[in-house]
Amino acid sequence: MNCAEFQRELPEFMEEGGNAASQAHLNDCRDCSGLVSSLEAIIREAKELQTSEEPSPRVWNSIEIMLRQEKLIREPQTSGHRSILPSLRQHWGALAWLVPTAAALLVGVGILLYQQRPDNARRAAVAKPAGPAAGANIQTADTSDEQLLQEVSARAPMMRAAYESNLRDVNNYIRDAQDSVDADPNDEEAQQALMDAYGQKSMIYEMALDRSLP
Amino acid sequence: MQRSQYLIELGAVVIVAIATIAVAETKKEYRFEVGPKSKVSIVNQFGSVSVKPSTGNFVSVTATTYSDKVEVDQSQSGNRVDVQSHLLSGANAENSRVDYEVLVPADASVNLESATGPLRAERLHGDVEAEGANAAVDVKDMSGGHVHVKTMAGPITLTNIRDGHVEIDSVSGDVTLTSVTGPLVRVSSTSGRIQYNGDFGYAGEYRFNSHSGNIEATIPDDASVDVTAQSVRGLVQNDVPLQPKVHTSFLVKEGSSFAGTINKAASSVWLRTFSGKIHLKRR
Repeated sequence: MNCAEFQRELPEFMEEGGNAASQAHLNDCRDCSGLVSSLEAIIREAKELQTSEEPSPRVWNSIEIMLRQEKLIREPQTSGHRSILPSLRQHWGALAWLVPTAAALLVGVGILLYQQRPDNARRAAVAKPAGPAAGANIQTADTSDEQLLQEVSARAPMMRAAYESNLRDVNNYIRDAQDSVDADPNDEEAQQALMDAYGQKSMIYEMALDRSLP
Repeated sequence: MQRSQYLIELGAVVIVAIATIAVAETKKEYRFEVGPKSKVSIVNQFGSVSVKPSTGNFVSVTATTYSDKVEVDQSQSGNRVDVQSHLLSGANAENSRVDYEVLVPADASVNLESATGPLRAERLHGDVEAEGANAAVDVKDMSGGHVHVKTMAGPITLTNIRDGHVEIDSVSGDVTLTSVTGPLVRVSSTSGRIQYNGDFGYAGEYRFNSHSGNIEATIPDDASVDVTAQSVRGLVQNDVPLQPKVHTSFLVKEGSSFAGTINKAASSVWLRTFSGKIHLKRR
C-alpha cells in the first residue's frame, strides 16, 4: 500500500482502525503516521470543545471573516481571478478541512470566551486586566498550546523551542489586544488588533499541523 | 614516527568521510513540458528551494538529497507540476534535507514550502507563495504577480516587487522591503521588525502592523503619501515634513502618533504597533 492508497482509506482507518495492509503502511511511513497523530490530536481537542455552549451566529460570522482574511477559506473564484491555493488539500486530501477547523476552533474559543464575559466583568476587567474569563481563555490556550508543542516535539524536536517562543509572543499579543478591547469595546482598531493577534496564532497552528512543515 | 602515524590515520578518516558524503549526495533532475501560466508547487520539509525563470515552456527541477531516508515524489497534471520531499522510515531533520534548484517559465505561479528554508524566488511575473516556519525567504525582481509569504521565525526580504498584492505574515521574523510597491502591501507581525525603503508607489494601500516589533520606513522627498502612525506604548518619530491632517480616526498625540500628507498623498500608509517604535525617515 502506498501513501495515496492509505489516504484514500483514511476516513475508514480513523473510524474503524483499518486493515492489516494499512496498519503495515502506517508502521513504515513517517508521513502517514504523522498525519494520523495530527488527526487524533485534533479529534481529542474537538471533543474537549464540545462541552462549550453553542455560540451565537455572530461568533461564527467573526470566525468566517477571520478565516477569509487569513485565506484559510476562500470566496468563490472568478475565472479571471488569480488563485494561490494552500497546500493543505494536496497533503490531506478529503480531510483538508481539519486544519482550518482546528484553527477556527481555536479562534472560536477566544471569541466565545470574550463575548460570554458579562458586562460588569468586562468593566471590572478595565481595572483588573486578568479577569476570570481572561484566565479561562489563557488556560484553554495553555492546554492547546501544550498539545501543539507535544505534536511538534514528536515530529521535529529541534523546532519546539521556536514554536514555544513564538506562541509566548503571540499570547502576549492576544492579551494586550484583549485588554485594549476591554478598555474600549467600541475601538475598531483594538478589535482589529485582536483579530490580527488571533490570526498570527492560527498561522502558528496551521504551520505546526500541516504535516509538510514539521 | 608517532606523529606520522597519527597524520596517516587522520587522513584516512577524512578521505572516508568525504567519500561517504559524496556517495550519500545524490542529484536528480526532472523536466516537465508546460503551457502558459503553469502552476508549480515544491513542498520540502528540510532544505532550500530556489526558483528562477527558465528559457522556455518547461519546468526543470534539480533535487539534491543527502541520504536514502528521503525521496522526491513528482507528478504533472496538465499545466500543474507538484514536487515534494517524501520522508521515509528513519528520517529526521539531519538526514532528510533536500535542496531544490528550480527553473520555471517566467509567467508561472509557484508555491514553495520548507520548514528550514531558505526559500528564494526571482524574476517571475506569476504569483509566488512562500511558507516556512523557520525559513528565510528572499523574493526579488517580481512584477505583476501577487506575493504571499508566511513564516513563523524566518526573516523575509522582498526587493524590487511591483504591481501585485504583497501580503506578509510573520510572527517573529524581521521583514525588509526595498522598492516594493503595489495596489496592496500588507505586513502583519508580532515581534519582528518591519523595515520599508521606497516611495510607496502611486495609489497603493500600505498597512504595516506589529505587536512589539519596531516599524521603520524611509521615503524620498518626492514620495506621495497619506500616512498615519500610532503606537500604544512605544515611541513614534517623524523626520518627514508632513502636512498635518485635520481629521483622523484617533487623537494625535506627540510622541505616540502622527498623521499627515506629503505631495499629492496618492498612497495610503497605515503604521500601527502596540509597544514597538515607529520611525518615518527621509532618504
